[in-house]
Amino acid sequence: MVRRTLAIVAIMITAILLQSTVFSQIRLLGAKPELMYLVVIVLAVIEGPSEGAAVGFAGGMFQDFFLNQPKGITALTLTLLGYTVGLARQYIVSPSPLLPTTMVAGATFAGVLFYETVSFLLGTLEVAPVFFLRTAVFSALYTALLTPLVYPLLRRVFEGSRRRRVVRF
Amino acid sequence: MVVRPKPRSTRLLLVLLVSASLAVITVDYRQGPEGPLAGLGRTSLSMMAPLQRAVTTVTRPVGDFFVSIAHLPSLSRENRDLKDEVAGLRTVINGSIGQEIEADRLRNLLDLPNSIDFPLVNALVIGNGVSNFENVITIDRGSADGIAVDMPVVTGGDTGARLVGRVVAVIANAAEVMLITDRDAATAARLVDTRQAGLIQGRGDADMVMSFLKGGVAVEPGAVVETNGYQNGLYPPGVTIGEVSRFVPATGTSDPYVTVRPAVDFSALDYVAVVQKLPIDTGTLSGGQP
Repeated sequence: MVRRTLAIVAIMITAILLQSTVFSQIRLLGAKPELMYLVVIVLAVIEGPSEGAAVGFAGGMFQDFFLNQPKGITALTLTLLGYTVGLARQYIVSPSPLLPTTMVAGATFAGVLFYETVSFLLGTLEVAPVFFLRTAVFSALYTALLTPLVYPLLRRVFEGSRRRRVVRF
Repeated sequence: MVVRPKPRSTRLLLVLLVSASLAVITVDYRQGPEGPLAGLGRTSLSMMAPLQRAVTTVTRPVGDFFVSIAHLPSLSRENRDLKDEVAGLRTVINGSIGQEIEADRLRNLLDLPNSIDFPLVNALVIGNGVSNFENVITIDRGSADGIAVDMPVVTGGDTGARLVGRVVAVIANAAEVMLITDRDAATAARLVDTRQAGLIQGRGDADMVMSFLKGGVAVEPGAVVETNGYQNGLYPPGVTIGEVSRFVPATGTSDPYVTVRPAVDFSALDYVAVVQKLPIDTGTLSGGQP
């Protein structure tokens, strides 16, 4: 359990570091990928809704605090996203290897739109709706493109550190 | 933690976490930039800064490589143009050295401040804002090096200093700089040729918008825009901001404005200099903006 938590924390820090250094330079059509979204969505796909929500919350808080953004909005977004993706995963039986990529694309799009809407309502973000949509589309695409590279790695970490199934009564 | 949680406990967890997020959002929203949550944010930022610095040092060449690939088609043309320009400028410089000496002498006589006559602190850009909506960079110098909020940040160019932005948050070993392209940034500016004053507002990655204090202007694309220093302005006067890319004439409902392309390529910013100048008497201004 401790090892797993440490592994997830390490992944989160790596995600934030890469997001704020490397990927802020390498942009796709002006958009950055959302690495923390990617981590949470992949974890939710593999582990289900409850861990999706918990890690989403932790990752969101991490990102909000470590990068000094408006606090709590990313946490709220990723909590809901982790839960929803984890729940949706249980009803999808497609064996397609593209499934994680598709889910990351869809979920990132929805998540970024949600984040933008909440920020807009709070008045921390004032931009045209077209820009909203454009950012959501491009960062979802970019994040989805990174999925095939990151998914196998994350999967190994998550499944390798999974607790043995011991049923206690 | 239970290995296979029942749906009920999962839903309870979700409700708990969502409530916690909402609580944090509310508290942060109500406290603004001075509250304990913001303080905590600054503390975590100071833990992150050294790591960011390390990663940047390692990955900067890789990033530069990709950036230069993206710019490749225009590079050779730019190179040729620049060589021509250098040849032309050399001649101009030779002519203007005499004038500069004379101007210096006169300035000293009049005791006027030079455009940037303040100590500069050089800093390395160690991180960029993570979201798609803010144009913010993190630099590796902080309050320990004498940097304070609202200090202007510039970068060198072959024609003098170019405006980058201003410091918006500072911790001991790092500071956050809001770029002039940020949607929240507003900069007092003027056209170099005609001295027409206006206000430049950031538009994210799109060109900035400059609106004028007085209507009835017609500006040609290519006109250079610089900072307009008032007595208590935020920026020193005469720092290059960029050049006009498009003139949008007045319509029935809106005044004419121009779009301004920044002189600095923010995607390839390595080193910047913080001007250790604070606006004189910000107390009379709301929000410290000129």
